[in-house]
Amino acid sequence: MSNGGMPFQGRREGGFEREPARRVFASELRECRYQFREGDDDKSPTFVLLPTGERCNRVFLVGTLTEKQKQGEQNIFYRGRVVDPTGTFFVMAGSYQPEAMQQLAKIETPAFVAVVGKPNLYQTQDGAFLISVRVESITVVDRETRDLWVLDTAKATLDRIDVFAIGTSTDVARVKEHYPTLDPLIFRKTVYEALAQIKI
Amino acid sequence: MEFSQIAERISLKIKQKGQNVDTKKIESKLRRLVEEFGVQPAEAERSVTNELAREYNLQGISSSVGGGVLGSKEDRSIADIAPGEWVTIEGKIVAILSPMSPSIAQSGIIADSTGAIRFVAWVKANAPQMEEGTWYRIESGVVDEFRGVPSLKIHSGTSIKTIEENRALIPTTVKISELKPGIGSVRAKVVQEWETTHERMLQSGILGDESGILKFVIWREAGKEKLSVGAVYTIFYALVDEFNGKLSLNLSSATYMQDEGDMIVSGGDVDVRGAIVHIAPGSGIIKRCPVEGCNRALSRQNYCPVHEIQPKFVYDLRIKGWLDDGEKTHNILLQRDVVESLTGMNLDAAKELAENNPLGMDEVFLRMRDILLGRYVICHGREIDNRLLVKACERVKMDTSDHTALLNRAGGA
Repeated sequence: MSNGGMPFQGRREGGFEREPARRVFASELRECRYQFREGDDDKSPTFVLLPTGERCNRVFLVGTLTEKQKQGEQNIFYRGRVVDPTGTFFVMAGSYQPEAMQQLAKIETPAFVAVVGKPNLYQTQDGAFLISVRVESITVVDRETRDLWVLDTAKATLDRIDVFAIGTSTDVARVKEHYPTLDPLIFRKTVYEALAQIKI
Repeated sequence: MEFSQIAERISLKIKQKGQNVDTKKIESKLRRLVEEFGVQPAEAERSVTNELAREYNLQGISSSVGGGVLGSKEDRSIADIAPGEWVTIEGKIVAILSPMSPSIAQSGIIADSTGAIRFVAWVKANAPQMEEGTWYRIESGVVDEFRGVPSLKIHSGTSIKTIEENRALIPTTVKISELKPGIGSVRAKVVQEWETTHERMLQSGILGDESGILKFVIWREAGKEKLSVGAVYTIFYALVDEFNGKLSLNLSSATYMQDEGDMIVSGGDVDVRGAIVHIAPGSGIIKRCPVEGCNRALSRQNYCPVHEIQPKFVYDLRIKGWLDDGEKTHNILLQRDVVESLTGMNLDAAKELAENNPLGMDEVFLRMRDILLGRYVICHGREIDNRLLVKACERVKMDTSDHTALLNRAGGA
């Protein structure tokens, strides 16, 4: 624990860049249908493709933890529902994320929580898509942080819609290929409704 | 590799002694030595020349290489020479460095009025030891390149002559942004000093001038002094190294003098607004080595990597983590005063917790994590090598005008 704080110590993360945590509303994340990996390496990150045209390896979300549930017999894990003004995020933390699991176990619902985690896309046997966020950390926060997040996420979403309109990025091209029937402009309405729910 | 030229040169020498040799044969011998056995070209030339001299029983043949054929007797300016060339230069030895390998007899820096270059004399070259501060004429050296840094190789064919007169030599300094791998002289300000990461290291940190910043290091050697933070120095003949595309300055070879006055350093402070998405281990309350000038963080067992067990440690606060604006993640480092004002927990309170709570120092980490993780903050500081050294940090407050502007933007479709 003592060395990480020193610049240029031993292990140099040559070219390593931590994937940013995207800001995305639940109603947009729910629409993800396509997941891809960049590069052939085992360690290359996987991304879900946001319908507004951006890859997403990590998310930062703030909402209300309304429910949590302990599951599994030997491999215990926790599931939770985090609600934002537009819908519900499904979050989970298992024994591979012991710290996150303990954090989640400790929180009394309902509570405003901030979650950092990785989105994963699943398809159920009847063909439905499910997206859940594997929690890296979860902390109890106040309403102001939640409101700030809604503003932040509104701005990020509008920015993505603007970039989509220009239509030059590779991820935008991916959206056109994989989500041919989806019009990202619908998320402008989502943003408006989310903002309207914030009482100042 | 110009084997044919070297072969030509050797065959010329043999011819002068009245013997005829097949240049192609010489060339294939050279090629074999260099390509199959990895012999240095200069050494291969020497070895083939000697072999032939023995074969034809020739006396007084010089195995010295380079002579004339490539025009290497012509004096060159150090600034103009490039890797792959055979050169003759006149310069002053401005630094002697400790050799990096037992096959190196001497290494250092030689300079003329146009520039400076590193030199290496092989043990096998049997060259006279050169002295710092003296001018020499070096004939038929070979310039090569290692990790992008040019250096002058003194091999057995190189001749070195002392120049008696002491010529004036005033190095010219360049802007930090104009430095290239090799040798450089700059006038710069010490922006920051870091914890040293190695016991052989005397000091490391950041130097800056109006054009940019770069890191520097001084290795522990007799006569080397630390730089003072905030002071401006003129630094002559530092080694400029490149790693991962970034330059750094090694002052072990350099002469440095503190200057009067101050200077404005570029790469000014930045403000980053985002959410704290991770608090790294090693945050919270930590123990530091009390040995003067050390200040390293100790392990839980109070072990300093250099000074071993230090029961009389000094407590400190810091936060290491990631600040994320949704587009980019910044590695942040918060020092004690910033941590205190951001968390509302001062060092005394943290110490009290660490010493009396069953979880000890972990309790401080957990409390600070719960206060900071997932929160929006604005960090003000300097970003160096992807690490934001935070001078001030505050929580973001809700701004109703942001809300109104966004509503208008979203509704204006």
